[in-house]
Amino acid sequence: MSLPIIPYLQEIARLEWLHKFFFVRTAPLVTPSYSRGFPELTNKTCTHALFCMMACPAPGAIDVIKTPDGWEPRIHKGHCIRCGLCVEACPNGVLTSGRILESMFNDSTRLSFSFRIDVDTNLCMGCGNCAVACPVNKLIDTQMAYGGRASTDQLLLKVSDGKCHVLHAELCTGCKTCENHCPNEAIRVSRLLEAVQIAEVEP
Amino acid sequence: MKIEDVVCTFCGCLCDDLVVEVDGRRVVSVENGCTLANEKFMGDHRLQSPIRRNGKGWEHISYDDAIRETAEILCDADRPILYGWSGTHGEAQSIGIHLAELLGALVDNTSTVCHGPSILAIQEVGHPGCTLGQVKNRADVVVYWGTNPIDAHPRHMSRYTTFADGFFLKEAFRDRRLIVVDVRKTESANIADEFITIEPGGDYAVLSALRAIVRGKREIIPPSVSGVSREQLFRVADLLLSAKFGAIFFGLGLTMSPGKYKNVRNAIELTEELSRHTKYTISPMRGHWNVYGSNEVFTWITGYPYAVDFARGIAFYNPGETTSVDVLRRKECDACLVVGSDPGAHFPKACAEHLARIPTIQIDPHTNATTHLSRIQIPVAVTGIDAEGTAYRMDGVPIRTRMLFKGEYPSDTEILERLYTLVKEAKGP
Repeated sequence: MSLPIIPYLQEIARLEWLHKFFFVRTAPLVTPSYSRGFPELTNKTCTHALFCMMACPAPGAIDVIKTPDGWEPRIHKGHCIRCGLCVEACPNGVLTSGRILESMFNDSTRLSFSFRIDVDTNLCMGCGNCAVACPVNKLIDTQMAYGGRASTDQLLLKVSDGKCHVLHAELCTGCKTCENHCPNEAIRVSRLLEAVQIAEVEP
Repeated sequence: MKIEDVVCTFCGCLCDDLVVEVDGRRVVSVENGCTLANEKFMGDHRLQSPIRRNGKGWEHISYDDAIRETAEILCDADRPILYGWSGTHGEAQSIGIHLAELLGALVDNTSTVCHGPSILAIQEVGHPGCTLGQVKNRADVVVYWGTNPIDAHPRHMSRYTTFADGFFLKEAFRDRRLIVVDVRKTESANIADEFITIEPGGDYAVLSALRAIVRGKREIIPPSVSGVSREQLFRVADLLLSAKFGAIFFGLGLTMSPGKYKNVRNAIELTEELSRHTKYTISPMRGHWNVYGSNEVFTWITGYPYAVDFARGIAFYNPGETTSVDVLRRKECDACLVVGSDPGAHFPKACAEHLARIPTIQIDPHTNATTHLSRIQIPVAVTGIDAEGTAYRMDGVPIRTRMLFKGEYPSDTEILERLYTLVKEAKGP
């Protein structure tokens, strides 16, 4: 019985194989005709709602960056899978790609975001990190951001009876600042993305 | 009736922005307070009247009887201890110390089992501290070493440090960096930018390593120091040095782990090293709401912050000898008055056993572990709810606590004044 290494060496030592190995050429990447391109900017104003980032299924594919002219979404082409969800999710039509905006207009459809906040009162220590860090609370009551003294009940989050309470969930912008800064993992923000007919929402 | 700007008398944060709704003699709701504050204000497990052990169980007695018997026990004792004081207001603490002087007693506060070592270190090398307002307005690097504020001081981060916007930090939690050092991953560590896990007892070595790095001696650092990698130490040192204003807070993880006051001394010296490059401060995370006050009041009156022995007729202070734990372990004392604390829950077993052997009297609104060791318990009003008085926040700021309603219980001050009067009469001019 011959050693198995010998036929192996004979196989890879063939000139044709070596040539293929070292000078391999793959076909150039071509965008298929049926594929839409990467999202591009329209001239509409970005309001920093960040719905594009929330809808994006590809990690690291889109960022919203502050430029001297205001907020602006940036597509990272290496990560983008061209699904077009960012284009659909944007409430201001800042992005466009293929026929998405046109189809949305014709069909009167859009993607609607809503947010739900749940607090596990068994875990919550009432430390107030969420209510103090919350950017919505900060806009409503500046005092909140300076140490957690609530002077109104119009807040999104407020600590009372030793626990965090969600007072006005409809104000939530889904930023998850509260969730990310809760030391007890007691607060969870759900982002609900639904495709709706505009007639349903605005009769 | 809603009362605003109520002071919470639970932990050393002394949050003074609570809104408490009161209905007669009952607290109905608490806003802005953490879960600990809520329990403090809403809890209703108060002892109804003084109780005395009668051999078979407990019997209710009058305040007059309870105070008279307490005075007799203290006057008859050769070596009484007056312990606690951190859970009551400054005025009562002051009477307690005068009572100790009158009795020739040993008077000690809860620092003896918490930040006593910090005080020893501060006596050696000083205290580069500041008020929490300075931290809130300036600190861009915050360190919690051996402390878990989320559990023990829940609002510390949202009111004074990481999350609270300040004069120079408009986006506080984005602008500040948080470092947590502990032997296990705590809730506070969950939100830290840098979490250092130290092997138990390794604080001194890690502090020394950081001091060496800050001094520019990176080449002498071994690959690992008490379980912390050299790379992480370099990273943390760079983070510390990048601060414009840094604040270090330390807890019992530093004071009560091997090394004790030497750990704190090393931490203070690290603060000093860092202050050669930028501005750093260090502060202890004081536990009881008025433990800082007990140190202050003790120091004003006796010259010493805790463990003051009046047996010689003058104030004598020698931690290790005159500290309650050591005196109880030596079975030296023969009576104990506990005010505003729970040594039954926090002292070593041998000390608790001795407390159960000798006549122990407790002055406290609630029953607790010490009740089970006591002969008499006298319920009092809770400062901040149905009594008022001065307390000191953990950074040494005195805050006047408020009385929300006039209750049926006498305050610590009233009980101690009566006790003092009786003892003074018994002792003669």
